[in-house]
Amino acid sequence: MLERLATWSRKRSPWVFHINASSCNGCDIELVASLTPLYDIERFGAILVPSPRHADVLIVTGTVNAQTKDRLRRVYEQVPEPKHVIALGACAAAGGVFKGCYNVGQGVQDVIPVDMFIPGCPPRPEAIMYGVLKLLGEVK
Amino acid sequence: MINEILQAIIFPGVLFTIAMGFLFDWLDRKTAARMQGRIGPKITGPSGILQPLADFLKLLFKEEIIPSHADRVIFLFAPALYFLAPLLSMLFIPIIGPTPLAGFEFDLLAILFLLAYAAFVVTILSYSSASSFTTIATGRLVLQYVSYEIPLVLAIITAALYSRSLSVEGIVASQSTLWNILVMPFAFGVYIIALMAELEKPPFDIPSAKTEIVAGWLTEFSGRALSFLKLTKEVGYVFGSALAVSLFLGGGLGPEVAAVPPPVLYFVYFMVKLLLVGFLIFVLKTALARIKIGQATELFWKILTPVSLAQIAFVLVLIQGGVLVAT
Repeated sequence: MLERLATWSRKRSPWVFHINASSCNGCDIELVASLTPLYDIERFGAILVPSPRHADVLIVTGTVNAQTKDRLRRVYEQVPEPKHVIALGACAAAGGVFKGCYNVGQGVQDVIPVDMFIPGCPPRPEAIMYGVLKLLGEVK
Repeated sequence: MINEILQAIIFPGVLFTIAMGFLFDWLDRKTAARMQGRIGPKITGPSGILQPLADFLKLLFKEEIIPSHADRVIFLFAPALYFLAPLLSMLFIPIIGPTPLAGFEFDLLAILFLLAYAAFVVTILSYSSASSFTTIATGRLVLQYVSYEIPLVLAIITAALYSRSLSVEGIVASQSTLWNILVMPFAFGVYIIALMAELEKPPFDIPSAKTEIVAGWLTEFSGRALSFLKLTKEVGYVFGSALAVSLFLGGGLGPEVAAVPPPVLYFVYFMVKLLLVGFLIFVLKTALARIKIGQATELFWKILTPVSLAQIAFVLVLIQGGVLVAT
């Protein structure tokens, strides 16, 4: 009974914290676009929270480089359980056009575990919302 | 006895207050969304009305992180102490009849004390989490508190002076012929502005400014503590509006309808006025943008305090001159 209540509330209230791990701002603008009147992701209960301690879903954009690696891991550890990570865009998924640079790894999954990749450069707001909802469908 | 306990716990006591807090949060989000051309919460319950409940439950079921520098005792217990303040104050407000659940002769003073108590608890609560963002937020919080408290108390005292009573019950009863807002419109305006500062709604969301200091004094809280702090803010919203209704808008008083029993009618009038005051705050908070802390202090000390003093002088002249004396 309590388990079902917990699952219900988790599916209905995904609070998103957005971290820019040296992104070019393309994905970030598309992420913010999903909050605007045309798409309005608040319909599904999702809001953008200012502190990682309030978040359920961590959305990472950008190629993770040597500078942002430690900071990304530190922010990830500040998110209380249960938590989910979405890697947004080509850079977060695999390094994007910066792949092979001396300071760029293979994307977010090198640093923290990732639940969902949303590809695109940048992904459209529809794709972002589809990804978030698909992730919520698998929340237990 | 059993009846009174049930009243205190369920209706119109604790559970009703919490439910109203959720309703206010939902209306707040819906109004803001509508004004911005969005839809707002949609899929959780009919038109998303269960959204605040889902948020609350989800936070209850989440892990609670305690920062290593934090003062553990205060960090863990102060959210509960903070939660008590608006919940207790709500018992002094008459909701389903002219007599409140826990009213006594000087309960307006108890309400003023609980306002100061809430500000004190939130200050030590904010300091206890010991991070740089919450420290800045605490400074702003205290400065904002000393700014808005004087006009807020002056506005409340105006109503008490005119009605010649220090109990909410007496002030409501004195408005049976003429609502206080018609005698003291400026006191009502000052009260609403100071209330928005107390609730940290824009344009006074300075202590929790998202774009400047992460989440202000809420930054380090997660899980259970965060859910209760958010709930306290929502219940404080309800209490502030309910006090405005009782002091200035005649509580649940209104024209009598023969077919409806008086308690139901009283409750309906009270709820209509409560939602109207709430709606006024929702619209103002969505329409206005954040000001600086110095501007807020100047607004309260240089403009609103003289305005409320002038309003008190006006009311005293009315009383001395024998014009419009409250019944």
